[in-house]
Amino acid sequence: MEIITIEKKKKGLEVLSNKEDGKLQTHMNACVHCGLCANSCVYYNAMPEARFIPATKVELVSSIYRRYQTFSGKFFPSLVGARSLDDEAANEMVDLLFGACTLCGRCVTHCSIGVDISYVVKKGREMLSAMDMIPETLQSTIDAALESGNNMSIPKEEFVETLEWLEEDLQFEVNDDEAKIHLDEEGKDILYTLNPREPKFFPLSISAMAKVFHAAKESWTLSTKMYDITNYAYYSGNYKEAAVITQRLYDEVERLGAKSCVLAECGHGSRAFRWEGPNYLKKTYPFDVFTSVELLASYIREGRLKVDPAKITQKVSLHDPCNLARSGGIWKEQRYILNACVSDFVEMTPHGNDNICCGGGGGQLAMSEYNDRRMAIGKIKADQIKASGAEIIATPCHNCVDQLTQLNVTYKLGIKIMTLGEIVADAIVLENEESN
Amino acid sequence: MLWYHWLATLSAVICLSSCIIHTFKVIRAGKPKDYAKPSGDVSASVRYSFTGAMHPAKKESAYMHLPTYIGGLLYHMGTFLSLFLLILLSLGLYPSGILTYILVAVFSVTAVSGLAILLKRISSSQLRALSNPDDYLSNILVSLFQLATVALLLSQDFVAVYYVSASLLLLYIPLGKLKHLVYFFAARYHLGIFFGSRNVWPSKQS
Repeated sequence: MEIITIEKKKKGLEVLSNKEDGKLQTHMNACVHCGLCANSCVYYNAMPEARFIPATKVELVSSIYRRYQTFSGKFFPSLVGARSLDDEAANEMVDLLFGACTLCGRCVTHCSIGVDISYVVKKGREMLSAMDMIPETLQSTIDAALESGNNMSIPKEEFVETLEWLEEDLQFEVNDDEAKIHLDEEGKDILYTLNPREPKFFPLSISAMAKVFHAAKESWTLSTKMYDITNYAYYSGNYKEAAVITQRLYDEVERLGAKSCVLAECGHGSRAFRWEGPNYLKKTYPFDVFTSVELLASYIREGRLKVDPAKITQKVSLHDPCNLARSGGIWKEQRYILNACVSDFVEMTPHGNDNICCGGGGGQLAMSEYNDRRMAIGKIKADQIKASGAEIIATPCHNCVDQLTQLNVTYKLGIKIMTLGEIVADAIVLENEESN
Repeated sequence: MLWYHWLATLSAVICLSSCIIHTFKVIRAGKPKDYAKPSGDVSASVRYSFTGAMHPAKKESAYMHLPTYIGGLLYHMGTFLSLFLLILLSLGLYPSGILTYILVAVFSVTAVSGLAILLKRISSSQLRALSNPDDYLSNILVSLFQLATVALLLSQDFVAVYYVSASLLLLYIPLGKLKHLVYFFAARYHLGIFFGSRNVWPSKQS
């Protein structure tokens, strides 16, 4: 058990002491311990123990808030269940707030009161971050991003080489020697970002988007300096580090003079840059920010891309990333894309804003010490996929792709997992194809 | 005025002042400034947060737990109605005739609903693990007040018991979880802002 010093404790408690934050005061005082959120949590549903009830996780943080910030907690702690921040509490917080929550937010919409449970869990993580208690596995991913510019520590030369052979592949595929993957070009309409998993493990998803951009005649570029859309500091609760990562991408959009920044298929990265990033930096972006999902839908809607659903005849279902749908408001676009690009699209139950988390969110994929729990909660998604009868699962998030890939092996699902960019790229009818 | 009238009046003043302070504090603190460009209608989302998003069909906490949900709903209705009745009775406005019996029936049902919820908390090991003394005491005080209301409606002999139970409840509201009387509304408001700025609410999903 990690021992917390008085200094660390003080730093942790400072997170809860902001008297000017009405949202903090509200959500720390609102839970009534009804426990009805239990069945909305993948952890509880997979492992029905009291400690996995979302309200228990809220209570871990709010009981400490009560102890130090409320009259009754200061004078009658036993009566109101106010708890001191000690070694036991802090270690329990690490285990449950980092190791038993994907921040999917499903419990939030189903809470009988309206407690923003994810917000409270993130406050708890912020406390742990202030106390230097972020799991090392998660912190190492953040350190890699801070030190190398991307969370996979891919050297620039390796990245450029990968893109060069992808460009050759692209030219071959679209039968056009002029097809390009633009690098570091200034004044383009779009600066496109990547999840570093793409150049490292899934280069075909870069080719897919390059093909889409080529077919749509888009003015775009990638940066070789800062292309990483991920921001694991959003998960750790260290918002100073999150701000550094956000600032780098912000600076790159400005340096290259791009009109807009398009976020790759990465749920948490999209959320961290689009919704949380301006608050880390305390400024509104002067450029447009939107997701590749919105962009793909607009290409099809505006006729910039011609797609043929007959090209993908397998049964396809969709996994909505929590950060994109439930916490990002993007759920129609991916359906529009799939209805246009595949001939047999089926929904899972439930889906959209109410979708069930795959288990890969909240930084879980980076924290190997919780792998067993992650695979256990993933069974719910695996069962959902089986019930859909789909042969292909599309998902616009690389963390979800990773988790679904592991679920595919563990639960023998026999499915193919694709990003939306890959689906669209497969369904594209190129101009030279039409003329043939 | 008798001693229990004074007690209840003093308790009401303390309760009301504390609730106003809580409300004032949370309003003064306001909402955190959001620098992200909103993509939805925040006002519509806040309205939805208090209406459509509260529909039992939208919440697993309601439709997966219907007996508890209905019990909770009745219990809360009984609480508000009994507090309203306390004001009327304090002003000397007593119900009469059939209305008295209707109120007795209503408060009997709502008090039993509260006690059923208490029983559930006591009997479920998982809920016990989640609970602290405040959870039990809050329920007991509210249920007791509703039962005292029934007793008073049936017999004036219980007038002292009624005002004492009302006083205990009023004094306790600002201390424990019963202050969700204030924070429930604030939580729905903040949730409406969060989901509205991101165009998640009002829900357009079929």
